[in-house]
Amino acid sequence: MRAILIFLGVCWFPIYSKGQSQTFFSGVFPEVSLTRKLSNENRINFKIENQFILFDNRVGEIKEAQFTHYRTDLMAFHDWRINSTNSMAIGVFYRFQEGADAKRIIQQYALIQRLRNLRLSHRFRTDQTFTKQEKIEVRFRYRLSFELPLNGMTLDPGEHYLMISNEPIFSLQNKEFELENRLVFGMGKLYSNGQKLEWSMDYRTDGFIQNDLRTRLWFKIGYFQSF
Amino acid sequence: MKIINILRFGFSFIVLFMLVSIAVLAQDKVEKEERIREKEVPKIAQEWLYDSFEKIKRPKWYKEFSDSGYSFEAKFQYDDHFHSVEFDSLGNILDVEIEIDWSELKEEVRSSIGNYFGEKFKEHKLIKIQIQYSGEEEDLKEFFDEDENEGILTQYEIEFSGIDLSGDSRIWEGTFDSQGNFLAQRIVRVLEMANVIF
Repeated sequence: MRAILIFLGVCWFPIYSKGQSQTFFSGVFPEVSLTRKLSNENRINFKIENQFILFDNRVGEIKEAQFTHYRTDLMAFHDWRINSTNSMAIGVFYRFQEGADAKRIIQQYALIQRLRNLRLSHRFRTDQTFTKQEKIEVRFRYRLSFELPLNGMTLDPGEHYLMISNEPIFSLQNKEFELENRLVFGMGKLYSNGQKLEWSMDYRTDGFIQNDLRTRLWFKIGYFQSF
Repeated sequence: MKIINILRFGFSFIVLFMLVSIAVLAQDKVEKEERIREKEVPKIAQEWLYDSFEKIKRPKWYKEFSDSGYSFEAKFQYDDHFHSVEFDSLGNILDVEIEIDWSELKEEVRSSIGNYFGEKFKEHKLIKIQIQYSGEEEDLKEFFDEDENEGILTQYEIEFSGIDLSGDSRIWEGTFDSQGNFLAQRIVRVLEMANVIF
């Protein structure tokens, strides 16, 4: 409980500490991920993410609740199994966003560590984003995730788990370096061995170097199905 | 207009899959374990544990369900080693498992297990070694209380990642007898983690 309060405090601090001088927006972020295991144990993944803004401090005085489509991302990955806990993937991505549709290619290496009652996963990614009338953006990102079963030492079907992840993203575009951070805190439930539902808060900060600081707080609901 | 269509498509896609997910909720498997309070554990199991491990401090208790019923398990640190003690549903002791290091195995056991890895695997990396003691209730109590090992069956369970001779790379659990001779092996399934990979 204490951890949740501290997390909320950290999330809201930048909004009130600098008033309107920085961008902040918040909204809902549903996502669906479908993973198909192939006969050679490699995997194909399809994912769709939607972001809808419910609050945006750039919009003058707020008289009524907002519900604005911000972006929809579609992505597909082919993942090669190295062994039971390591894999490498390449992916393609298309973003629908008003005036900023984008294409991206992604390369990643992921590693899972099984500790006694905790699972740690490391994901290393590089990606290259192509947006019309903009220079290519190249990024490197590393995500560390913890998954802790809330009932017993191992996560069994029907049980909940706590998940926390953090991902710094280093970006280079037009010879300018930028930094972003994504902190996610949430809870999930494993329904069967291939099915998870997660509810989380995803707190994103960027614009540390080139632009004014921007913060985004997303309330996510994610459905993950593997078959 | 284009964006609105995308929005509609995306949103209905997500709603559809949320509904599918709810429809499949009922398919949970029976095998699971849950943390329980000590007072929910049969007295006979508590007594065995506190008699056999006199310096024990606050063991964590679990109830493990399987297709054939349920059992109780106590997990705790003792003498710098992680212990798991399993009892049947009535509270009768079944076995005691203790995590140990490779260096704590006897030289001849290490050599025998090492030969097995060398013959059957191109590569291997040890993950966890457990020594398992099973036997009658009184024999096990005397073993832990007075170091009497009569009637005690000792085995080793070793979890390791490895590549076998056919090139199959997996996490395995091998069971070896008290001399380090191979008894059985099974593949350890790693839970699907697509949510943290993609």
